[in-house]
Amino acid sequence: MKNRFNIAIAFFLVFSWGCDDIIEVELPVGAPVLVVDAWLNDKPEDQFILLTTTIPYFDNVLQPQVPGAVITVKDSDGNTYDFTEQSDGKYRWSPSVLQPKLGNIGSDFELSIDVNGQKYSASTFMGRVPEIDSLSFTFEEGNSFIDDYYYAEFWADDLVGEGDIYWIKTIKNGIPLNKPSEISLAYDAGFSEGGIVDGVTFIQPIRQSINPFEEDKDGVFQSPYLTGDTVYVEIHSISVAAFQFLNEVKITTDRPGGFGELFAQPLSNVPTNISNNNLAIENDVVGFFNVASVSGLGKRFE
Amino acid sequence: MQTFNFSFLNYENSMKKIVGLLLFVMVYHTSLAQDKFTISGYIRDAQNGESLIGATVLIKELGTGVVSNVYGFYSITLPSDTYEVEYSYIGYSSQIKQLSLVENIKLDIELSSSLQQLNEVIISGEAEDENVSSMEMSTNKLDIETIKKIPAFMGEVDVLKSIQLLPGVSTVGEGAAGFNVRGGGVGQNLVLLDEAPVYNPSHLFGFFSVFNPDAVKDTKLYKGAIPAQFGGRISSLLDVRMKEGNNKELSTSGGIGTVFSRLAIEAPIIKNKSSFIVAARRSYIDVLAKPFVEELKNTGLSFYDLTLKTNYNLNDNNQLYLSGYFGRDVFKFDANQGFNWGSKTATLRWNHLFSDKLFSNFTLVYSKYDYQLAFGEDENDFFKWDSNVTNYIFKPSFTYYLNKSHEISFGGAMIYYQFEPANAAVGSGGDVINLSLGKKYNLESAVYINNNQKISNTFSVEYGLRFSSFQQLGAGTSYQYENPVIGESKVVTGFETFDKNEIIASYSNFEPRLSFKYQPNSKNSIKGSYNRMSQYIHLISNTTASNPLDVWTASSNNIAPQLGDQFTLGYFRNFSNNDFETSVEVYARNTQNQIDYIDGAEILINEQLEADLLSGIGRAYGVELFVKKNSGKLNGWISYTLGKTELKVEGINNDDWYPTKFDQTHNLKIVGFYDLNKRVSISTNFSFVTGTPTTFPTSRFMMQGVLVPHNSYNSRNNIRLPNYHRLDLSVRIDGKKVKKGKPRKVEDYFSVGVYNLYANRNAFSIYFSQSEGRFQPNQPIPSQATKVSIIGTVIPSISYNFKF
Repeated sequence: MKNRFNIAIAFFLVFSWGCDDIIEVELPVGAPVLVVDAWLNDKPEDQFILLTTTIPYFDNVLQPQVPGAVITVKDSDGNTYDFTEQSDGKYRWSPSVLQPKLGNIGSDFELSIDVNGQKYSASTFMGRVPEIDSLSFTFEEGNSFIDDYYYAEFWADDLVGEGDIYWIKTIKNGIPLNKPSEISLAYDAGFSEGGIVDGVTFIQPIRQSINPFEEDKDGVFQSPYLTGDTVYVEIHSISVAAFQFLNEVKITTDRPGGFGELFAQPLSNVPTNISNNNLAIENDVVGFFNVASVSGLGKRFE
Repeated sequence: MQTFNFSFLNYENSMKKIVGLLLFVMVYHTSLAQDKFTISGYIRDAQNGESLIGATVLIKELGTGVVSNVYGFYSITLPSDTYEVEYSYIGYSSQIKQLSLVENIKLDIELSSSLQQLNEVIISGEAEDENVSSMEMSTNKLDIETIKKIPAFMGEVDVLKSIQLLPGVSTVGEGAAGFNVRGGGVGQNLVLLDEAPVYNPSHLFGFFSVFNPDAVKDTKLYKGAIPAQFGGRISSLLDVRMKEGNNKELSTSGGIGTVFSRLAIEAPIIKNKSSFIVAARRSYIDVLAKPFVEELKNTGLSFYDLTLKTNYNLNDNNQLYLSGYFGRDVFKFDANQGFNWGSKTATLRWNHLFSDKLFSNFTLVYSKYDYQLAFGEDENDFFKWDSNVTNYIFKPSFTYYLNKSHEISFGGAMIYYQFEPANAAVGSGGDVINLSLGKKYNLESAVYINNNQKISNTFSVEYGLRFSSFQQLGAGTSYQYENPVIGESKVVTGFETFDKNEIIASYSNFEPRLSFKYQPNSKNSIKGSYNRMSQYIHLISNTTASNPLDVWTASSNNIAPQLGDQFTLGYFRNFSNNDFETSVEVYARNTQNQIDYIDGAEILINEQLEADLLSGIGRAYGVELFVKKNSGKLNGWISYTLGKTELKVEGINNDDWYPTKFDQTHNLKIVGFYDLNKRVSISTNFSFVTGTPTTFPTSRFMMQGVLVPHNSYNSRNNIRLPNYHRLDLSVRIDGKKVKKGKPRKVEDYFSVGVYNLYANRNAFSIYFSQSEGRFQPNQPIPSQATKVSIIGTVIPSISYNFKF
């Protein structure tokens, strides 16, 4: 945590002459592409799939929805889950007595979308998740740059066996922490494949990834958590392809700015696991399909 | 299990036989040529004994001559007669000797510098018409005195910053390490410091180079027509030679600047026979700031280097040299965390004269480049990573000065590489996990032969052949991949393990080198060249500009060596008695097996790095215009390059040609020096470069609360950043030469400079992101484009430099 400030000081001393400017640029015009947001899970509640199209980069509006699609998800246990269009444009599947939740751990899933005369499909796998053992809040003394603060940590062990991949999502006081910098992924207990960080407690940076780091409008650092705050952490299992996708999303959207750009990758399109059944047509769909198993734990900071 | 394979040694045995045969033939031939004799010797500076590289020895009667080699040695064989021989070197007073050649003559010459003249400006340490008369083309030699006059960044004189003012040379911008030559990548330049390869020639992300100007004698950049004795990179060769050290008297020089402090000491060990030079630099921003900022107590931000050399002249036929470099860049966040990188090199060389006509040099080099990262606040939770590449090199080289028309060179090189891509560990809650990747071993070797032949007084050719070979050796593992979707990470389909020194993969290439010069008179010449280069180790970089964390990787069963074919043609013309030098040069280079990476490649600590790499072809062509004014109070040069460099890789940009990140259509540099009076001179330079290619999105979409940019054409480098331009200015005030009637022992000067005079905010990159702040799930998130400038203001500097 302190690192960020020391890094900033170190760079500031040498590089106090650079700058970032927000500017206007003209962008080339591109044709709209179908966007599929199909992140499903096994919680006993409604599941939604969103179909929209891309819009020009500087259009600050909600994407237009795509009506009239036929969407089904089938799993390897022989179940079919139908998603029906709602009045608000989303496609919904609801649990029922026969299908209390969507899928089981260990099953494969197949998504089919039939829209505007094109058929698309994607496949994924539901992995397993560990239980979260506990959540803790710790006090940290400040220094001349920042005041004292509290940070939270979740404690859980990766399941034994290489290849369990997770997306850790946090909700603080009912608000999801979903800034690009807050995307928190784990491959086994660490950051990436290597097979060696397996079956152990999640490493410290991952445990502490549930903290928001923000400044108020005067640039004063805010304590991630204060007395009375609630935190709710969920671990979602994701496929290898989803892990690569989210890593790419993070690299593309979580820009360091300033001198960090010296180490940043240039822009490139994020991958997708959805494809047009007609293999001759490429690059006409973006988005992702994943079915997760979820475990969660919440706590109020007393 | 495979047995140890000696095949890579076979041609080396052949080489030894060839060398032996050649030596025999030469000695025999020499003994037969009774009516020809040789004048040979060393040309040195009379003040400090430094050998002069490229000094001219002109036989006036014949209108022809030779130049001294990199050790200051010259040799010319002529029919028995009387000759008037002129020894000259720009900036030095010429000497003329009347020689009666009835036997072999050993004549060492010491030339005195003639810096007193006001009009004489040292821009190139060569004969006045060198650009026309020299066989070399596509080369630029920058004298250290000129480099010292160019306004430098933060007041620090710099070799790499100076060569960027020459035609065909560029960088991606401030913050980019290394340099680009004729549209080649940063990793395609062979940078040698006294023959030791330097993997990262930059300190602090390219702001300064690792070459201490106090220790540098000569820098020569070969942009094309690279001689057969060099190989291993396909774009260029930057040959930096260190001073040997004053062998007549103790000399101390140094300086105090805004960033570095420097001190160099050179002195004789045995007068006229042996000397040394030690030059050190250290930055001190952190030292100055620490007492004032409590938080900085355990931080460190420094760069330093130490350059040393010693030499010993055993006798007329044998000289020994030992040089070394050690330098580091350190960023420490606190006692346990930070990152640092640097190089160390050591070179041992032995010059041996077999005879007046056969000069030889044997070089042994050790070179290591490494970087280290450490994060984590205690022993229970940490991450440590160390990566390095080590070379052990042996290079024998010979030059046989057959007669006035033929200069034959031959020799070889053997480089043993040891790569350690990742020596890493992570600690989590007390458990320590080893993330290290296996070490990799490689052997690169070459033999070459070359002849520089004067066919007539107006026409010369140089032709040579280099044969290079590369083996990937065990112990190690090789992987086989399948590529189901081009443009995505390949899938491992198998692997094989190898024992120590077993050959995993092997490559070899012939590299012909050819150049010609047609010079009808002393004022103009036409030169052309063709060369083929091969490159066996590759720099992988997936960021906007090259940085210290880029990965060097070797050819293997999955990565073929890079190949480059370059053609050049140029016209060189001098005007007004060499007061103006002009040239026009066109070049075209086709390259194969160029390495690029898939979108989203993982290049750090990746055992399957090769699965994320793609291979393609490249082409670069352009025309370079150069005009230089050599004399008068106002002098300098203008260089303009119009060029294009592109790649075509399956899986990128829809399999179409796309510009590389260092493709710069226009590259204009104007450099001027003006001597106001005897003590004050002003220098300025102006750069204008077409903006760097970059990729812009066309569209956007939301994914799980995050705004994602999208390029619906799936293109790469479809747009250019705004053009780059910058003006620098500096004033140099020389100290008084006389104080109270007595000459001062100290030579000193102040340099006051301004970098980026009109505070232009040149774009390093433009990135796209969602606006700051937290948004409700059903709110559209605003998007923005941000321009990053590494230097956005005026940077003044001042430095004081001394010598006594």
